[in-house]
Amino acid sequence: MPELIKVRPTKIELVKLKRRLSLSQRVQKIVKDRLSILSMEFLQTARDTVEAKRKLLDELSKLYKALSVAAGYHGYIALEKELIATEVDLKVTAGLGNIAGVRIPSFELMGNVKPMKGYNLVDTSSWLDRAAQLSEESLRAIIELAELQRNFELLAMEINRTKRITNALEYIVIPGLQVTIKYLNMKFEERDREEKARLKRVKVLVARG
Amino acid sequence: MPEPLQNEAKQSPYEKMLQDCLRGELRVVNTGLPQSQKRQSKENKLFYLLNEKYPHVVCNDGSTHFFKKSELEYLASMLDTDEQETLPLPMLIELGANQAEAAIICEGKVEEKVISKALNMPVTCEERRIRIYKPQLALLRRKFKTTTVYVFSPKIVA
Repeated sequence: MPELIKVRPTKIELVKLKRRLSLSQRVQKIVKDRLSILSMEFLQTARDTVEAKRKLLDELSKLYKALSVAAGYHGYIALEKELIATEVDLKVTAGLGNIAGVRIPSFELMGNVKPMKGYNLVDTSSWLDRAAQLSEESLRAIIELAELQRNFELLAMEINRTKRITNALEYIVIPGLQVTIKYLNMKFEERDREEKARLKRVKVLVARG
Repeated sequence: MPEPLQNEAKQSPYEKMLQDCLRGELRVVNTGLPQSQKRQSKENKLFYLLNEKYPHVVCNDGSTHFFKKSELEYLASMLDTDEQETLPLPMLIELGANQAEAAIICEGKVEEKVISKALNMPVTCEERRIRIYKPQLALLRRKFKTTTVYVFSPKIVA
């Protein structure tokens, strides 16, 4: 049951309350629109995250298989020696995007980087090429998943915050204002009726006198 | 409906709080928009953004909105050079009073072509707006995550 707001029962207060109600309804509409967009984006991000996670697991399992075959072919020591040469700095561009007021991070691997192609192609087999290619794909999948998961968390937090505002407006602020306006209207009507009855009574008294 | 109080001095703290909340929400939702005076500038066009090392635009609040190169390249693959020079980014998606649909603000035929190709269906531009429905909006956002932004117009709450 919404609570009455304590106000003086005057016409000025009634006008003020009506203005408050109009304002609250406008705020509610904006917040609801925003919530609907955030929810849509959240669901899409959730779907993409699941897909990206599955893709990453697939890539990693393929990579480990390819790497173990390459290790079996070359031997661990020779493979390690070759892989030392592949160490290059990765360049990931990080920026910020915006979804309905939520600042979300965005990551992207710069250019057509071949971080794993630094080894000697003459002394190595195609097994290692395959493992290198798969590791590059895994790296891209990891970056994609990192972005999606962070977006997922940020959107969830914002949805929670927005939902609290919507609920406060929908269940407390607006009903409270509506009830108070109704109460004041009834009070004024009652006052009018009393006034009329009083006038009638005075009229009768005057007529008798 | 009565208009909100214009004179802040006469407002009660309660009304001020609500007014601030409204302003705050509008400010928050529209922070991601590019600065209006720079919307028509060269720097916001696809062709110039493609050649930048870190493609981005400056937003209303002074922050930057970053574009993914892969998305820009995908957009460029749909258009020829002349069209690339006229496509302003980010594309603006306006949310209407009717929650079931949204509108893409377009300034030329280029946006129409891009949306039509991305959605794989014909779209028409009416009164500088391309109207699409929610499922199409989700599809569009999936393809153009960084090259589209939402606009919450104050008139939808009037």
